[in-house]
Amino acid sequence: MVRILVASPIAVATRGEREFEVDFQGTLRDLFDVVTRKYGSQFQQRILEADGALRRFVNVYVNGEDARFLAGLDTPIARDATVDLLPAISGG
Amino acid sequence: MQCRECRKEYPPIQLAICESCFGPLEVRYEIDAVRGAFHRGSFGGRPPTLWRYRELLPVSDDRGIVDLAAGYTPLRRARNLEDAIGSRELWIKDDTVNPTYSFKDRPVAVAIAKAREWSLPAVGCASTGNLAAATAAAAAKARLPCYVFAPASLEPAKLRLPQLYGGIVVPIDGTYDDANRVAFQVADRRGWGFVNINLRPYYAEGSKTLLFETWEQLGFDLPDVIVAPLGSGLLLTSLEKGRRELSELGEAPDPPPRLVGTQPAGCAPIVRGFESADGRPRPVRKPDTIVESLAIGDPGSGFEAIRSMRATQGFADDPTDAEILEGVRLLARTEGVFSEPAGGTVVATLKRAREDGRIDRDERVVLLITGNGLKTPAVWQDAAPPPAPIPSTLAAVDAYLGGRVHG
Repeated sequence: MVRILVASPIAVATRGEREFEVDFQGTLRDLFDVVTRKYGSQFQQRILEADGALRRFVNVYVNGEDARFLAGLDTPIARDATVDLLPAISGG
Repeated sequence: MQCRECRKEYPPIQLAICESCFGPLEVRYEIDAVRGAFHRGSFGGRPPTLWRYRELLPVSDDRGIVDLAAGYTPLRRARNLEDAIGSRELWIKDDTVNPTYSFKDRPVAVAIAKAREWSLPAVGCASTGNLAAATAAAAAKARLPCYVFAPASLEPAKLRLPQLYGGIVVPIDGTYDDANRVAFQVADRRGWGFVNINLRPYYAEGSKTLLFETWEQLGFDLPDVIVAPLGSGLLLTSLEKGRRELSELGEAPDPPPRLVGTQPAGCAPIVRGFESADGRPRPVRKPDTIVESLAIGDPGSGFEAIRSMRATQGFADDPTDAEILEGVRLLARTEGVFSEPAGGTVVATLKRAREDGRIDRDERVVLLITGNGLKTPAVWQDAAPPPAPIPSTLAAVDAYLGGRVHG
C-alpha cells in the first residue's frame, strides 16, 4: 500500500484526512488521479496548477526525496512508497 | 493577516499558510491607528532594543515578551572599507553583537512572544546554526522546552551552542532541507511552535527591525542600496515589508533602496531564479559551500525575494567561497568587525559590484552583517592556522618578525 501523509495546512484538500493508504503502483501523476477520485476535484485544484504542474506552494516528497529532484509528476511510485505533501516553507 | 499571494485575509491566529492557495501569510497593521505613535519624534526614551518599534510588531500581550535585549545594534560608518573598495559612503549594520551573535535573535524574540501568548507547550526550529542558538537561548529565558533540528554535519560550535542553552538538538543525517521537512512534520503532529515554520509570519516581523533601525540611525533616512545575505530569502522580504510600512506612514523617502541579495556560488537557488525568465528559484539538492548559514537548497521565500529585488532595481549575486573568505578578512582588517562567512558573502558581492559597476561609487550602501565570525572557527582552521611558538628572547623575536620595521 502507498502511504500518503498530508500536513495539516494542506489537509483541507483531503477533507481533513492527514494519513491514508491506497493500493497503487504507477507514476506520481497517476497517484494524484487516484487521490482526486477519492477526495474530489478540489484535491487536484489545490495541489496542481491549471496546466497540471505541481503548485509552487506545495512540496511533494517520495520516500523523503523531493519529487522535483526525481522525475516530477513522472516519478515512479512503488507499491510500498511513502508520499508526503507539505507546504513549501523552508529556511529562516 | 493576509495571504501574500491571493490576498485573502485572516484574523491574527496561529496560522502560517493560506487555506485557499497555501501561499505564505503576512501580518498587516492598521496603519492609521499606528500613525500617531510611530513617527520620527516618538522614539526618544524608548529601550535600545527591537521593542522600540513595538507598534509595528505583532505582539498582542506584552506579558509574552521575554527580553534578551536583541536589536538596536550599531550602524558603523566604514571609512576604511570605502577606501579599499572605492565607495563614497558605506555603512555596516553590525548584527554580530546580538545576544546570541546573529540577527536571528530578532525574529525569535517575536516568535517566542507569540508562543507564550498562545501557551504552546514547546518551541523549536529547523536551523543551519544561528537560529538554533537564538531559539534555544530565548526558550531558556521563557522556560520552554526547545527542539532544534539541524544537519548533523554542521560545524561543532553551532551544534554545541544550542545544547549549552538547554535545547535538545536533533541531529539529522542529511541537508538542511531534510531537517526542515521532518521538523515540519514533528511540529505539525505534536503541536509545538517552530519559529521559522508554523510561527513564520510572526517570526518574519522581527527581521524587519533591521530596516527600521537603519532608517532611524541614518537620521530617518534610507540608503540607496542594501546588501543582504540570502538563505531562505525571508530576511530580504522582511526588509521590503518594513520599507513598505514606513512608506505607508509617510516616513520613507522615494525611491526605495535597491535590494541586493547574495548567496554563495555553491548554493545559489535564488540567484539562479533571479536570472531566469520565470523568476522561480532553482532548488539545489546538495549545497556545496563553506557558508553553512546560507546553505538552504530549497528557499521558502525565494520567489518573493526575487520579486523584491526586481521591483527595487536590485540584483542577485553569488561569489565563490574563496571570494567570501577574502570578504571576511577584508571586513576584519579594515573595520575591525569579524563576521561569519555570510558577512563575507555580502562584502564579496559589494566588491564585485563596485568592480563591474552594478553598484555606483556614489551610492550610499548599507551592508547587513548578520552573524559573528567566532561561531565558525572551523572555517579558519586551514585558512589561518595558529602560529608555531618561538622562544621568549629578543633575538628570536627579531628573527620571527624578519626585519619588519614599524616606526
